[in-house]
Amino acid sequence: LYATADSRCHAKCGPTVHGSKSTALRLLCVPQESKSFAVNMFKGQINTSQVFPFPSVLNEEQSQFLQELVGPVSKFFIEVNDPMKNDALEKVEDSTMEGLKELGAFGLQVPTDLGGLGLTNTQYARLVEIVGMYDLGVGITLGAHQSIGFKGILLFGTRAQKEKYLPKLASGEDVAAFCLTEPASGSDAASIKTTAVLSPCGKYYTLNGGKIWISNGGLAEIFTVFAKTSVKDEKTGEMKDKITAFIVERSFGGVTSGPPEKKMGIKASNTAEVHFDNVRVPVECVLGEVGGGFKVAMNILNNGRFGMAAALAGTMKGVIAKAVDHAVNRTQFGSKIHNYGVIQEKMARMAMLHYVTESMAYMVSGNMDSGASDFQIEAAISKIFASEASWSVTDECIQIMGGMGFMKEAGAERVMRDLRIFRIFEGTNDILRLFVALNGFQNAGNQLKNLQKALKNPLGNAGLLTGEIGKRARRRVGLGSGLSLQGTVHPEVAHSGDLTVKAIEEFGATIEEMLLKHGKKIIDEQFVLKRVADSAIDLYAMVVVLSRASRSLAQGLPSAQHEKLLCETWCIEAYGRIMADMKSLRSSSSKQLFKNLRAISSALVDNGGVVSPHPLGF
Amino acid sequence: MNSTRRCFVRFMMSTKALVPGASWPCSNLGPAAQILRTFRVSGTVAKKKSRPVRTGYDEKPERERSLVADDDDDDDPFERAAREAGTKAAFDGLLDVFVRRDVRRRGHVEFIYAALRKMPDFGVEHDIAVYNKLLDVFPKEVFVPRNFIQRMFNHYPRQQECAIQVLEQMENYGLMPNVETKVLLVQIFGEKSHPMRKYQRMMYWFPKFKHANPYPVPLQLPRDPVDLARFSLNRIAHDLDARVAVYQFPSTEVSETGEKVSRPHVVGIQSPEQRRLLAEHNPSRPVFVEGPFPLWLRKTCVHYYVLRADPLPPEEKVEESIDPERSFFYPLELDLDLDRDFGDLDSFDVDEVEEGPVFAMCMAGQADQATLAKWISGLQETNPILGRTPILFRLESGPRELQQATESEPEPSAEEEPLHSQGMKQ
Repeated sequence: LYATADSRCHAKCGPTVHGSKSTALRLLCVPQESKSFAVNMFKGQINTSQVFPFPSVLNEEQSQFLQELVGPVSKFFIEVNDPMKNDALEKVEDSTMEGLKELGAFGLQVPTDLGGLGLTNTQYARLVEIVGMYDLGVGITLGAHQSIGFKGILLFGTRAQKEKYLPKLASGEDVAAFCLTEPASGSDAASIKTTAVLSPCGKYYTLNGGKIWISNGGLAEIFTVFAKTSVKDEKTGEMKDKITAFIVERSFGGVTSGPPEKKMGIKASNTAEVHFDNVRVPVECVLGEVGGGFKVAMNILNNGRFGMAAALAGTMKGVIAKAVDHAVNRTQFGSKIHNYGVIQEKMARMAMLHYVTESMAYMVSGNMDSGASDFQIEAAISKIFASEASWSVTDECIQIMGGMGFMKEAGAERVMRDLRIFRIFEGTNDILRLFVALNGFQNAGNQLKNLQKALKNPLGNAGLLTGEIGKRARRRVGLGSGLSLQGTVHPEVAHSGDLTVKAIEEFGATIEEMLLKHGKKIIDEQFVLKRVADSAIDLYAMVVVLSRASRSLAQGLPSAQHEKLLCETWCIEAYGRIMADMKSLRSSSSKQLFKNLRAISSALVDNGGVVSPHPLGF
Repeated sequence: MNSTRRCFVRFMMSTKALVPGASWPCSNLGPAAQILRTFRVSGTVAKKKSRPVRTGYDEKPERERSLVADDDDDDDPFERAAREAGTKAAFDGLLDVFVRRDVRRRGHVEFIYAALRKMPDFGVEHDIAVYNKLLDVFPKEVFVPRNFIQRMFNHYPRQQECAIQVLEQMENYGLMPNVETKVLLVQIFGEKSHPMRKYQRMMYWFPKFKHANPYPVPLQLPRDPVDLARFSLNRIAHDLDARVAVYQFPSTEVSETGEKVSRPHVVGIQSPEQRRLLAEHNPSRPVFVEGPFPLWLRKTCVHYYVLRADPLPPEEKVEESIDPERSFFYPLELDLDLDRDFGDLDSFDVDEVEEGPVFAMCMAGQADQATLAKWISGLQETNPILGRTPILFRLESGPRELQQATESEPEPSAEEEPLHSQGMKQ
C-alpha cells in the first residue's frame, strides 16, 4: 500500500502536483501490473523485467565520469581521512570536511546547473561504497546531508526553493539535516508533537517543538522539519492535524541545537537534539503540499535506502580484506589458518554475503535509474540485508582475527560499533520486515481479490481462470506451476534457477494460504510476517545473485566461475531456509511455537525480567 | 430353556409357513440387509398372527419382536433382570446362564438379537467387553465354511447377519472392536466371512474418523446441575478467556412460615471481550434477557439464556479507521476484503447478517424472571453499566413450561410452587 501509493504519486505527478490522500488511495486501487520482482514473487509469479539481465544503466560518458571520480575519492580516503582520529575526536576533522567539499561530495546528486555533480543513483552508490569502505562516520555525515537532509528539496522542492538552497548545499557551505524523530514519535506519525501554526496574515508558520537524535543537528544550517499543521479536510470541512514538511534555516532564529550525543558508534558524525522555539517559517518554505508531509517523509526514506546497501557493501569489502590478510599471514600449528575448515567456511560466507549485498545495491540503484517506480520492497530488503550481512561479516572478521580483532589498533572494532546503528535507523529492520511482508501480502491479496471477482463471472474470465486454476491444481499435485527461469539465467547456473523457481512457487502458495487463513488479520500475525519477510529477503537475494552471476558468465569475465560458485552456494542454502520456513508456517507446529514464544515473553513482562530462579537457589 | 426352544421352533415353522420360498436365506444371495428385513418381518407377523388378542396390550416393538419371550405370561429374562438390577454383572450373568444351559446353544441368534436390544437398559451399550462376550455366545467353528461352495454361497446367513448386527450396534455407539473381537469372529465364521469383512471395514474407517469431532461431548455428563451448566456454557462460549461464575448454588431452605423454598442454581459466563462490548453499550438502549434456548449434549437437553442488545442502528455506528498516514515505515492496515471461499454468494451471506452483540450467557435452575434477575444483579458487579441500562426480560415459555413466574412475579410467593425444572431435562 505504502510503497505503491507513494511511488506512483512520485512517478506520475512529480513534485508539484500532488493528489490528496484520497486520490493516492484511488490510484492504488486501480489494479496495475507491477513490474517489481519482489511484488510478483508474493503472488507466486516471476517477473524478470527488472532483474534480468542485471541492470547496467550507465552510458559510456557516465561511466567515464564515474571512473574519473573513483580514483581521487579513494585516494582521498586513504591519504587524507583518518577514521581513527575522527572516531577519537568524535567529529570529522576540519581538513577532511574541507577536502570533501572540494571533491564535491556534498552535492553528489544535485543537478550540475545548481552546482552539484548531477550523479545518477548508480553513480552515487559507487562513490558511497568507497566512503563506506573507509569511514562510516563520514558516510553518515554525508548521508544525513544529502541522502535524507536535502533529498526533500530535490524531490519535492519548487524551482525557487531549489535555486535558493541547492547551490549552497551542494558546495557544502551549508549542511542539511533531516528532523523527523521526536521523543514520543519513532514510527508513529500521530504522536509528532512539533507544531506549525499559520499566522493570521497567512505569511508564515510558527514552529514549536523539539527533535532528537538528529544527524548533523549541530552542524546543519538547513533543516527538513516535519510538524503538525491544521488542515481543512476537503470532504468533511473538519480541521484535522496533518503533517507538513518545512525547510527551516537556522538563520530564521529560534533554532537551537544541543550538545553532540555520546554514542556507541559513528562517533565522527554529529548527532544532536534540535529545538524550535517560535521559529517563523515563511510559507514559501513549505516543502511539498501543506498536509502532505507524510508523503514527503516516506519518499525521502524510500529513496535513501539503496545508498545504505552500497555503503555497507564497501564496508564489507574492506573488512573482508582485513580478514583475508590475517588468515593468510597467521600461522598456527605449523600451517596458515586459512587452511582450516572453520576459517574457510567463515571466509566463504563473508564472500557470499558481500556478493549478495553488492548485487542488491546495484540492482536497486539500477532499477531506480531506469525509471522503475516499484522499488520500495527491494530497497527495504537491501537495507535489511546489508545491515545484517555487514554486521555478521564484521563479526566474523573479528573472530578470524581473534584477540587481534578485539584491539582498537586493528580497526575492526570501530567498524563493528559503527555498523550497529544501521540495523536501527531509518526504520528498524524489524519494522522494515513488517513493511516487506505486509506490502507483499497487500499485493498478493489484491490479485486474489481480482481472482475472486473473476470467479463471479466465470464465462467472461475463462482464460484467466483456466490459467489460475490450472496453476493451483498443478501446485496441489506437486507439479511445477509452469514457471521457469530457463532461458533467462545462464545455463551454467540453471540448477540454481530451478531452485529459485521452486522456492518462489512454495512461497507464493504459502502466501496465498496465509491470506486465506488470516485475511485482514494477517497484520496482527507478526510471527508469521517475520518469517515471510525472511523468506522474501532470501528469495530476492537468490534472484539477484543469479542475475549477476548469469551476466558475468555471459560476459565471460575472469571471475565468472567464482561468481557461479558464490551463486550456487547461496542458492542452495537460501533454498533450504525458505523451504523450511514455509513448511513450518504451513504446519501446525509453528502455531505451538508461536504460542510458546508469546507465553515466554509475557511471563517475562509479568515478572519484569527472567522468571526462572537461580540454579543455586539464591 | 423350555420356553426358548419352543419359541424358536415356532418361529421356524411360522417363517416357512408365511413366507414360502421367497425368503429362506440360503436361496437368497441378495444383500444381507434384505434377508434381515424379511426375516424380521416374518417373525413379527408370525407373532401377531399367533396372538391376535394381544395386539392392544403393548405396542412396544421390543416386546413384540422379542423372540425369546415366552408364550406364557412369563417375561423376557432380560426385562426381568433389567428391572431387578440393570447392571453389567446382571447382563453378564444372563449371558452365562444362556451359554451354560445348552451345549448346542439353541436359539442363540434370537438370544443375541434380544440381548442387543436390551443393552441400553443395562447400561452396557458402550462396553466392548460385553459385545465380545455376546459374540462369544455363537458356537465356534461350526459356521466356518469348509469348501469353496460354502464359501461362495452365504454360509449360515442368519448367524452371519446376526454377528453383523452386533458389529453394527457397536459402530452406532462409536465403539471400536478390539483384537478379541477379531479372534472371536475368526473362530466363529472364519477369515473370509461377512462379519469379518465388516470388522475389517470398521477397523479401516474408525481410526480415520476417531478425532473427526474436535469438540467431543463426553459420554458421562456431569450429574451436578452446576457442573453441567459450567460445562455447557464453556462449550457454547468457545473463548478461552471466558470465565464462568456461579451466581447462586442450588439449595433448599425452610422459610419462617415452614414452607420449603428451593433456590435454583444460576450459572453464567462472560468473556473479557463481552465485558468490553457491554461497557461500550449505550445505556439509553435496553438490553434483553432472552431464552430459553436449547442445547443438546448427546441425549440431554439443557437450556440457556442470553443477555443481548439489538444491533446498532447505522447512524450510531462509529467507523474506527486508522489514519493511513500514521506509520512512517509500514502499513497499519491492509486493504483486503477477501471472500472466505471462492463459491460465496454475493447477494446474501449468512456471515454478514448483522446481529446484536451477546454480552453474557447463563443457565438457571428455574425459568422465571426472579431467578434470572439474580444473574443480572450478579453481572452488575463486574458490569456497572447494567445499573443504568433498562433490562427487558423476553422469556419464551420453554417447550414444557408454563410461564407462571412472570405473571405472578410481583408477589414474593412466586417461588412457592416448585417450577418445572428447566435447566435440565432428560
